[in-house]
Order: sequence, then structure tokens, then C-alpha cells
Amino acid sequence: MAPVFHRGQLAIPVTCILMLGCIFPLALLAVFSVFEVDLDAFTLVPAFSGQNWVQMFTNPVFAFLIGKAVVSGAGTAVLAAIIGYPIAVSMTRLPVLWKGVGSIVLLTPLYTGEIVRIYAWRVVLGSEGLINATLKWLGAISEPLKFLLFSPFTTHLVLLYNNLPFMVLAIWISAELIDKRLIEAARDLGARPIDAFFKIILPLTTPGLAVGVFTVFALAAGDMMTPSLLGGTSGATPMAMIDNLFGTAFDWPLASALSLSLLVVLLVFATGFVGVLLRFDGARAVFRRGAR
Amino acid sequence: MAGSGFSRRDVLAGIAAGTAAGIFGSSSSARAAVAEMVWATWDSNGHPEYVAAFEAQTGVKVKLSYLSSEDAQFAALKTGTASDWDMINPSLNGSWRYIKSGLLEQLDMSKIPNAAKMYDVFKTTPKVLDASGKQFAVPYLWGLNPIVYRKDKFESEPDYTTLFNAKYKGQLAMRDYALESIAIAGLVAGVPRDKVFVMETKELAEAKKLLIAQKPLLRTYWQTIGDLTNLFATGEVSCAFSWRVPFDVLKDKLPMGMAKPKAGIMGWCDCFAMPATLSAEKSEIGYKFINYLLGPEYATQVAKIGNYATTSPIIRDTLSKEEQEAIFVDDMDVMKSFMWPVAPENYSEWLKIWNEVKAS
Repeated sequence: MAPVFHRGQLAIPVTCILMLGCIFPLALLAVFSVFEVDLDAFTLVPAFSGQNWVQMFTNPVFAFLIGKAVVSGAGTAVLAAIIGYPIAVSMTRLPVLWKGVGSIVLLTPLYTGEIVRIYAWRVVLGSEGLINATLKWLGAISEPLKFLLFSPFTTHLVLLYNNLPFMVLAIWISAELIDKRLIEAARDLGARPIDAFFKIILPLTTPGLAVGVFTVFALAAGDMMTPSLLGGTSGATPMAMIDNLFGTAFDWPLASALSLSLLVVLLVFATGFVGVLLRFDGARAVFRRGAR
Repeated sequence: MAGSGFSRRDVLAGIAAGTAAGIFGSSSSARAAVAEMVWATWDSNGHPEYVAAFEAQTGVKVKLSYLSSEDAQFAALKTGTASDWDMINPSLNGSWRYIKSGLLEQLDMSKIPNAAKMYDVFKTTPKVLDASGKQFAVPYLWGLNPIVYRKDKFESEPDYTTLFNAKYKGQLAMRDYALESIAIAGLVAGVPRDKVFVMETKELAEAKKLLIAQKPLLRTYWQTIGDLTNLFATGEVSCAFSWRVPFDVLKDKLPMGMAKPKAGIMGWCDCFAMPATLSAEKSEIGYKFINYLLGPEYATQVAKIGNYATTSPIIRDTLSKEEQEAIFVDDMDVMKSFMWPVAPENYSEWLKIWNEVKAS
């Protein structure tokens, strides 16, 4: 006799993984954040002190680092949406074979590993790199363009490149699900292509856009390697500080407070962006259809 | 049965232990002599050829487990996730926290005859003792962190002030590491080398001011030594506070130089230690191993292949002048200007300053 599972029971394994892998560590961070460090015995003392949280709110360096992560994440997400949207929508018009080729081309860079990509960017953007050497050879410059590497420009260019596939894939899947008859009906009723785009395609792809924004924002705001290795002296991130505090400084309580603050701020912003996008009628229409 | 040699239980235990040793590799057999010791160390300290002579002498295999960072080593011991490590590698500067945490076995120095031959600076260091003077670690390998530079781009040998000189804007790099970078700024601000790691608030503020002024002069902060080597190789950087690696890797391709600033030379030194939980049987092998690390075979291999010196002058006179120079033992005055970077108790404050500099 085959056992019959209730739909809710199927969620038990996932719930357990979430509890173990997410809720429990977060609860631990919350507890650690009110501890103190006894540097004589090298242990954490349950002191129930608010000292680390006071620092979080009073020392501007923490607000600066978290703010920088938010701006970096949001900037990358907006740019990825602007650049990724047309790519994703054009992919829906490709023959099936070319769709496969397109998605492989899109994802191939992700298979090379972050460190390889970072050093490849150095080869391209460096003072003696591909771009500077070409411009010099063409006589366009006499001195290398130093801003190409080790600047905020580099960080954001590479964050955009690394995260663009996640935006394109999310929007592409959303765009593929649109019932083409809706567009045909609109055109039959006299809508110009631009009207069909703004009244049908854009609204119905907002769920994909929202997923893309959420993903790219989180990945870009939380990246440590790209800013550290390509951002030059502007590469400070809250992640690097958390790493240092947990490591050499053995200040787990302050590191926990910073980690939680970063998490809360990023979640608030990400939820805000996605919330705004999902308020559009198109998104609601897609979800209602899905629910039915 | 007791007098006739093996009982059935002994045989079964032997088979079980043998099977376990076969399956798990690192586990020692229950009754037999120690077959293998796991040495957690840096890849540069523990090439297989460095320990081959020890393995031949004792019949004990040294299994190398390479460390990713000192913090990771400490955390692994502290949280008990490193139960297969038999011998470990705390730094001289970081030993105190392992000792304070009770993670290390107290050492009986009479079992390490070669320790008597060590350079005084290492033999007498209090950094490997606890408050009551008991010894828990033995320094065995050391080196300097020099300024590495391109000889073709600098007329004279650089010192720490060069790293703050606007004339070299865009060619300089500092390590993205609060401890050393703030200490260097302290030296430039005039703090004596024995005080830089215990700087007072006013001196820290001076150092911070210098580092903020330095920031626009830097091409970047380097993260790993591979990263810095790449920066030198690609012409991005021509002078940096460094480790010696970029010099060694690039000296045949580029005119590389190494400078030992007079204001104070950052030294590094690795120690041998054993976890407090190690069995007596394995400890005995551990003693033999540290004696080997302080002996001539290891010293010769590590000097000729790795360009590093052990803490003992045991082979110094057998090396050529060039070989001595390469491992900084040609002029022993170097030991008078050593500085040992030690994370101060208020290191969180240093980290905040460093992040304020980077956020400025």
C-alpha cells in the first residue's frame, strides 16, 4: 500500500534543512552578539551586553560599509536589469536550438571560477593590459588609463558581468511563459509594438525581473573577492571586516552584530525593491494564474 | 593462555586496527608502533622531500596537512575539528593564544637535544612559555618580510618612508592587513619599533592620519602573496611591503630588489607544537620530529629549496655566501632589528581604524 503524503508533509525535509542551516546559525549569531570576549582565557563570555550593538549604531564606519554594500548591490541590480532585459526578451524570439546555444554562452563564464575571471580581468584592464596596449598602439593615449583597473569602475563592471546571467535567466524564463496570443490580440486591436511591450510584456515579466533584482542585489552586495582584488584602495567591504573580526581579532560578538546588521539591512532593501516590483498589476495577474 | 603470546581478543583487535588503519589512513593502530604522524603546516615548510630523511630514519610516515591560515588552524583546534592533527604549526607571535586556551601539550625540552643549538633570540623567547615559565612550542623556521621593489625604478634602496612618498604615486602597494600596515605607519610616525604593537590612542591617530594620506598614492592593497607577485609581474606595482616570494619568483625575469628597512624588520617565525590531547606514544615521535626540524637535514633542504632558515645555525657555515644572503644569515646583526608582529589585545580597535582608512 503506497503511503499517502499530505502536501504539507513534503515540506518537512526542506524545513529541517532551513532550520539547521539558516535559522539555527542566525539565532547563534544573535546570541553571540550580546556576548563579550575574555581575551585572557580566549573564550566567549555570556555577558548579555549591548556594547556591540551600541558600536553598530554609533561608529560611522559600520554604517558606511553597510551603506556601500547596499549602493553597490542596488547599482549593479539596476544596471543588470537595464542591460539584461533586452537580451532576455530577444532570446524568446530565437529558434529552440539557438535558445540552447544562447543560454550556454550566457552561463559559460560562470564555469571558469571567480579567481580565474578576476585575473583575466587584470590582463584585460591592467596598465600593460589588452585595452591599454591597444589604445597605445592606436596612438589614442600616451599614458595608460589607470582608472580601468583598481577603481570603483572596475568593481562595478565586473560585478555587473558576473551577475548579468542571473538577471537574464530570470527575465527570460518569465518572458517565455507569456502567452503569445495576448501580444497577437493586442496587435490585432491596433496596438503599436511599443504599446504591446509596455502593456503586456513588461507587466507580465515583472516576477522574473523581481527575482533577478533580488538575486543580483544579494550577490553583488555580498561579494568580497571582486572588490578586494579588483577595486584597489576602494575595495573595503563589510564582508572583509566580518572575516577579520571573526579571525585574527577573535571578536566574535562584534562580528556577529555586524553580520546581523548587514543581513537585516540587505533584506529590508531587497524586500523593498521586490515589493515595489510585485505591486504592478502584471505581477499580480501572473501569480493569480499560477495559483489557479 | 595469557603466557602463550596472543589471545583471540588480541588477534581480533589487531585485525580490526589493521583494517581501520587501511581504511582511514591517518588513524594509528591500537597496539603497534606509530606508523604515521599528521603534520599541519604551511606548504612552504613541509614539502615531502623535506621530511623524507625523517621517514627513512624512523619508519614513521609524515602526512602533510597544509594550512590555509593561522586563524583557521586556531579555530580548528579550538572547536575540536582537527582531531587527526598530531603536530601543529602556531606562529611565534600567535602562540600565546594557543597556550592561554590550553590547546598545547607542555614540552620536555630535555627530549630535544638540538634545541640547545638554536640562535639565542629564539632559544630565549618568552613567547612560547606560559605565565609560569613552562614551554609549549619550539620556534623552528623564520624569515623576514622585506620591502620588495623594482631596482630599475628606484635610485636608492627604499625604506618605509618610500611607501608614503608622493613621488611614487600609483606604483606602491601595502598589504590589506591592519596589523602590519598600521605598525609601518607607526614606524614612519616615529614610534620606536618595540612600541608599535602597543601604540597608544594618540599614536594610533597619527598612524591613521598617515595611512589616509597614503591611500591615494597606492595602486592597491594586496590580498595574498600570489596577488602581489602578479601585481609586480604585470608592472602594476614597483614597490611594496611584501614577503620575499615575488623576489624569488621574478628575480630572473625582472630587476627585483629586497630592502631591509633599518627602522625595524618585520620577522615571522613558525613554531612546532603538539595538541594537548596527543597520546604519549605519538608525543615521543613528535619529540623526534622537532629534533629533526632543528637538525642539519631539514635545515639544508629548506635553505636550498625554499630559501628559508631554521632557528639553528647548525648548517650556516656550510653554506656559500650567496646562500647565506638568500636566507638572511650572512649578517647576524639582522636579529637586532627584528620586530615580531603581535596582535594587540585591542586588535578590534586596530581593525576599525584600518576600515576607517579604507573607507576614507
